[in-house]
Amino acid sequence: MSSSSGKPSSTELNIPLHVKYIQTLGQNKDDLMYHMTSHLRMNAIYWGLMALCIMNRKDALDRDETIEFVLSCWDDEAGAFGAHPGHDAHILSTLSAIQVLTIHDAVDKIDVSRVVKFILSLQQPSGVFAGDSFGEIDTRFSYIAVQALSLLGHLDKLDVEKTVAYVLKCRNFDGGFGAVIGAESHSGQVFVCVALLAILDKLDEIDQDTLAWWLAERQLPNGGLNGRPQKLEDVCYSFWVLSAISILDKLTWIDADKLAGFILSAQDLENGGIADRPGDQPDVFHTIFGVAGLSLLGHPGLEDVDPVYCLPASLTEKLGLRKAWRALPRRTVS
Amino acid sequence: MSHVESNDPADQTLLYCEKPEWQDVTPIPQYDGVNPIAPIFYTPEYKDATEYFRAVVEKDEISERVLQLTLDIIQMNPAHYSAWQYRYRTIIALKRPLEAELTLMDVLAIQFLKTYQVWHHRRLVLTALYESSTSDSASSPSSNAAGAAAAAKELAFITRALETDTKNYHTWSYRQWLLAFFDDEALWEGELPYVERLLEADVRNNSAWHHRFFVVFGRVRAKGEVDLEEVLKRELSYTKDQIAFAPNNPSAWNYLRGILERNKKPYSDLQTFVEPYTVPASSSTDEGIVDLDNPRPGPGAQLPCVAALEFLADIHEKAGGEQTKQAIEIWKSLANEHDTMRKKYWEFRVKEASA
Ligand SMILES: [Zn+2]
Repeated sequence: MSSSSGKPSSTELNIPLHVKYIQTLGQNKDDLMYHMTSHLRMNAIYWGLMALCIMNRKDALDRDETIEFVLSCWDDEAGAFGAHPGHDAHILSTLSAIQVLTIHDAVDKIDVSRVVKFILSLQQPSGVFAGDSFGEIDTRFSYIAVQALSLLGHLDKLDVEKTVAYVLKCRNFDGGFGAVIGAESHSGQVFVCVALLAILDKLDEIDQDTLAWWLAERQLPNGGLNGRPQKLEDVCYSFWVLSAISILDKLTWIDADKLAGFILSAQDLENGGIADRPGDQPDVFHTIFGVAGLSLLGHPGLEDVDPVYCLPASLTEKLGLRKAWRALPRRTVS
Repeated sequence: MSHVESNDPADQTLLYCEKPEWQDVTPIPQYDGVNPIAPIFYTPEYKDATEYFRAVVEKDEISERVLQLTLDIIQMNPAHYSAWQYRYRTIIALKRPLEAELTLMDVLAIQFLKTYQVWHHRRLVLTALYESSTSDSASSPSSNAAGAAAAAKELAFITRALETDTKNYHTWSYRQWLLAFFDDEALWEGELPYVERLLEADVRNNSAWHHRFFVVFGRVRAKGEVDLEEVLKRELSYTKDQIAFAPNNPSAWNYLRGILERNKKPYSDLQTFVEPYTVPASSSTDEGIVDLDNPRPGPGAQLPCVAALEFLADIHEKAGGEQTKQAIEIWKSLANEHDTMRKKYWEFRVKEASA
């Protein structure tokens, strides 16, 4: 595993290094791929900030600058947020904006009713949500819509029955869920469907044990989890499986020590950050999901994560949004 | 065609700000704000093209040249959803030939297989193509000749795309959408042989197993149109053969469970088949007897097989009574020996059954 990558391996999370990694993100001008990801910039801000929150270093990114960036991405024509100033609004960047503003207690700075209108406008006759006016549909967008409305306190405006009906139609013979009706089961899609049902208090509509078993089967001998049978293990899938299974209160069905070992071995101990698997290049996406996964597994020194919202548990608790999920108890440093 | 868009890089040596035909447009630079935590660094070509794109959007320009501009941007960044959206709008507004658009996008789709937008664009174009040819012959998708021909061609293209990546999620979803949308017998017909070819190449391809279920059970049929008993018999026989060939294949076992549940058949129907897979390889002594209904594990198979043990335990649990003990024995062996990683799950099963 990690020993073959030639890099030093660790059984500890190198928090200072990862904090530094996030702080210096986007400053590497040599990165030719950088412009390709501009459509994820708002998401990246959320991933970075959330990773810092879990590591107890929320202050490591300047609050005012962050809020200023988020507000500069407002698409006034659509009434929602783009991924970057001047970009068209998209549901992905809109949720990230709401999450960042919620973390910084600054939702009052936006026109909430317009955002709510934008989100509701994306619901299709079938009940699923589109990501933007281009019309890509995905249960992922349904989850995003539901979470955004929940955080904004406007869930009462959602057609819950229609939203849930579509999700249930995406259930497959193996117990899992796909992105659209007819599509293959996939860990990421299982997570969004389970979290959506949790927010709407509809988990009793599904066979939870069969689903939790499908999730537990995603664990591979090296401890990592995959997205579908026969696919490679990956830190991000590990988090989606883990969060879904903790929402179903079956987290103990996963071998926690082995999974924690897998995530820790994917750390880049030279430059910081966590990769998809040991030896690969780290990125902010796998860094947040690696750290969040470790938090759910009770890793010492981390803040609790709410797996339903992927937000600090103290925050969802404060907002009165906490559902009946269960993570492993926080361990103290041994 | 009055205007041919070019994929040829030689044609792209000029930046938009240098092209004579774009001199009437004032490019709009990217507002980068002042925020240091989110700077964006572009290549000169991308920066140039997107500045002209912003100007085009601002003016709401619908023209031939917008097609080349959006194509250039998409080639540099296939995730640029606004460029896709604008391109689609322009094609429809200019009544551009839709078949040609699909063909033009073939290379791009294979190149950017993992980008959702390339598939969504095809779907929009194909739908528009179908709708434009159906306006005079109000009918179902399948009785629309032009639509059906385009769909058949598209299915062949998807097959080619899947050769590059046989598990690509977007490509598979697109295939499933196409089949359901056109619902044409001629399209469905080739699907089962296609799935079989894929599984012959890789019996563990979960996407192919999933598609098999979609093809066999996903299509809405009139009552009596197919003999369900015959279908089930065929599927059981096929799946058993694949399990015999590669016993430790969770996709095949999931499929087996799926078809039994779908048809409300008890797992116990398969006890004779499953048992040889639940014991160590050496203890099977009657290799000379060939039972076509119950193919035995092939030589060199790793036995016992976890999925088979689980299956047999489910049979015992369902039977209840004295057999519950046998189920518990199996779960304990899974917890302590054959599948220790999921120990807690097997212990949960023991506890549930003992309660
Ligand atoms: Zn990943």
